[in-house]
Amino acid sequence: MNCRECKERLYEYLDRELTPAVMEEIRQHVAECPPCGESFDFEKVFLTFVRARCRAQGASPELRRRILDELLDE
Amino acid sequence: MTPPTPPTPPAPTPAAEADKRASFEREALIHLDSLYRVALRLTGNPAEADDLVQETMLKAYRAWHQFERGTNAKGWLLTILRHAFINEYRRRTRHPETVDIDAIEPFSVFEEVQDDDPQGTFFDRIVDDEVLRAIDTLPEQFRETVVLSDVEGMSYEEIARVLEVPVGTVKSRLFRARRLLQKKLYEYAVGMGYIKGNAT
Repeated sequence: MNCRECKERLYEYLDRELTPAVMEEIRQHVAECPPCGESFDFEKVFLTFVRARCRAQGASPELRRRILDELLDE
Repeated sequence: MTPPTPPTPPAPTPAAEADKRASFEREALIHLDSLYRVALRLTGNPAEADDLVQETMLKAYRAWHQFERGTNAKGWLLTILRHAFINEYRRRTRHPETVDIDAIEPFSVFEEVQDDDPQGTFFDRIVDDEVLRAIDTLPEQFRETVVLSDVEGMSYEEIARVLEVPVGTVKSRLFRARRLLQKKLYEYAVGMGYIKGNAT
């Protein structure tokens, strides 16, 4: 697999959405190709960062109570 | 002779109602936080998000007998939520998009920063609210895809089912959405002086 083909599948690789055989091909390429290795690492940092920043929010206890009350009336 | 009246369906017994409620709480209500996070990003407003989630849960409860036990309840609930949003809330909250998302060129932040900060350490200085604000400015089709993937951790297949698009569309939207989000955060970081921008 060449650099362009790897880059096209970059997010699919990081999301583990490829077959094991393709995952392995990309893993090997990225391990042996420093420019691809750096760019894959950068994208991985970015995804980890976005996920960490978005996790905290959840529904308020008030909303939970409103819904439970409403279900009781059904 | 009067025709026989069709039998009326038996009213659910209190025990059956209690069972339904218990299974709904066990399998559906556990996804409340996810529904709220998605609703908040879709509506852009906490009060609207509360109402959208409440309406979704009520619709889901009324249709609970149609949910196939053992399948993905989160995906089923998010589909109901998204339909409710499109039909009722979008008109009031945000206008349907006029942006042509296919015309948005993917931009590579890595190419901009590879000399100064190839490890992306500037991301560490960007706080939660800023990331959420940037997500909120994405075109709706990009925003919902990023939220389902990166906030809710759903697979491409699950996202495709909720958004009712082919898996290939999820892949291409996610690629371009993430690149656009990255660009917005990079521009913010340059503006804040977290990283030196290339004069363009």
